[in-house]
Amino acid sequence: MFLAWNEIQKNKLRFVLIIGVLMLVAYLVFFLSGLANGLASLNREAVDKWEASAVVLTEESDKSLVASSLTIDEAEAVEADETAVLGQINAIARNDDQKANVSIFGIREDEFIMPEVTEGKAFAGENEVIASDTLKEDGFALGDVVELSSTEEKLEIVGFTEDARFNAAPVLYGDLATFQRVKFGEAAEANGDQINGLVLRTDDVSAATDKDELEAIEVETFIENLPGYTAQSLTLNFMIYFLFVISSVIVAIFLYVLTVQKISMFGVMKAQGVPSGYLARSVIAQTFILALIGVAVGLALTLITGLFLPAAVPVAFDIPTMLIYGAVLVVVAIAGAVFSVLTIVKIDPLKAIGG
Amino acid sequence: MTVLEFNQVNKTFGSGHKKVDALKSTDFHAEQGEMIAVIGPSGSGKSTFLTIAGGLLSPSNGEVIINNENITALNEKERSKIRLKEIGFILQASNLVPFLTVDKQMKLLDKVKKNNMNKEEVEQLYKDLGIGDLRNKYPSDLSGGERQRVAIAKALYSNPSIVLADEPTASLDSDRAYEVMGLLKEETKNKKTTTIVVTHDTRLIDYCDKVYKMVDGVLEQQK
Repeated sequence: MFLAWNEIQKNKLRFVLIIGVLMLVAYLVFFLSGLANGLASLNREAVDKWEASAVVLTEESDKSLVASSLTIDEAEAVEADETAVLGQINAIARNDDQKANVSIFGIREDEFIMPEVTEGKAFAGENEVIASDTLKEDGFALGDVVELSSTEEKLEIVGFTEDARFNAAPVLYGDLATFQRVKFGEAAEANGDQINGLVLRTDDVSAATDKDELEAIEVETFIENLPGYTAQSLTLNFMIYFLFVISSVIVAIFLYVLTVQKISMFGVMKAQGVPSGYLARSVIAQTFILALIGVAVGLALTLITGLFLPAAVPVAFDIPTMLIYGAVLVVVAIAGAVFSVLTIVKIDPLKAIGG
Repeated sequence: MTVLEFNQVNKTFGSGHKKVDALKSTDFHAEQGEMIAVIGPSGSGKSTFLTIAGGLLSPSNGEVIINNENITALNEKERSKIRLKEIGFILQASNLVPFLTVDKQMKLLDKVKKNNMNKEEVEQLYKDLGIGDLRNKYPSDLSGGERQRVAIAKALYSNPSIVLADEPTASLDSDRAYEVMGLLKEETKNKKTTTIVVTHDTRLIDYCDKVYKMVDGVLEQQK
């Protein structure tokens, strides 16, 4: 630490530049992780809110809620601690001057999918819905009567709830009858027992159903099969993983150049009896200091940037994840220093005498 | 008391046609409090002699004994400990770490070794060498002579029994060179160390108790 810190103090500019590069890499990693997290919650927050363990869909739907269709009777044959029926359809909702993509959930008021109302009241009667509060930003308000793209039915927003987006669309929660009128129109009466899936809270997912035509899917698998979800998160995560590798290489190159410049100095110190281990620890300590400062500044900068971003940018910072990524960055930076440590160990103190 | 002893030490580099006898079979001993010069043209083997004496290089044959300890058989890690404890190096260019102040040069040795000089001894040393005012300066702010005086302080700081100096006056003009040699001699007598100076500069031999000449790997005593 002694050598490491004194060298940084003496050669401030040189080390500030290295810290700057590490900071930019950290900034990019943190920002991408925020973006990955934000995009993920855009898709999954309504599902996360269920706190469910599995979803039962028809086998032929291939894990797609929209393509799955079963009857309430079939659903009630499923065995689990807690169950909630779910009907779902996508639509375009329109008030007087705004349009928005929405996802309509048909649920039962007394089952666990029922969201907590944060503003207004719960749906009570025909065609009343609780809406995701993100719709407020899109220009929708309590008491709005919205028209839907595919049907004559009109829905009235009577309440708002938080964290309710499904596959990037704000959710409208209504009762099963409302959902069926939207989905089937005049044929709603005849299809009164049709739903899309059944959401479970249970310890033993595999025991939930033994019917061939039904399939119980773990919630995480269900989310991964939402359209576009996996492609999106894979892309961003790959970028983050590559950045880890890149930062390791950058540190390795910088430190190696610095070390090569100091070979004769290290040789002199070794001739005087300073052990290789001490010099190696000093380089590791130096890397640790540089990486820690770089990551800390990068983190601060990311959070500050977050304050100034418009709401339309889907960034959501998850501090525990960012701290883990930060720690990983420090660790890969130190891994990059190993190359220089090997060089130091190999330096022959004889070089210091020059012959 | 004998602090350094060579028994039939030789060093050969390469093999076959390219075989070079850098140091031919040599017996040598140095006593406590002696200032010894080894002179000779470059390539005569005097650096080989110094590096073997300092435990940086293992001899091909023979044994090297420092303070009654045979260092020939030791591995690099153990020899590094002997260097730290028994030997102070003063090198041609300067053996200072560029990013440490004079005071911190000494502190670095504290970090890797116990039983260095205490505060009063360091103050006395600084005073003797006339570097008391330089303690917070970096090597780049010092003149060549000042740097070499700090290098001497650094070599003596760890209370070594042997000081090995490789061309300590190479980068200095005559006046500065005599000054540095005078200081080395004084400290050798005061601290009862043994100082071996390797140089090609014959003007410096007046400062030494014994003078050896190295010619083609053969060491001969001249004085």
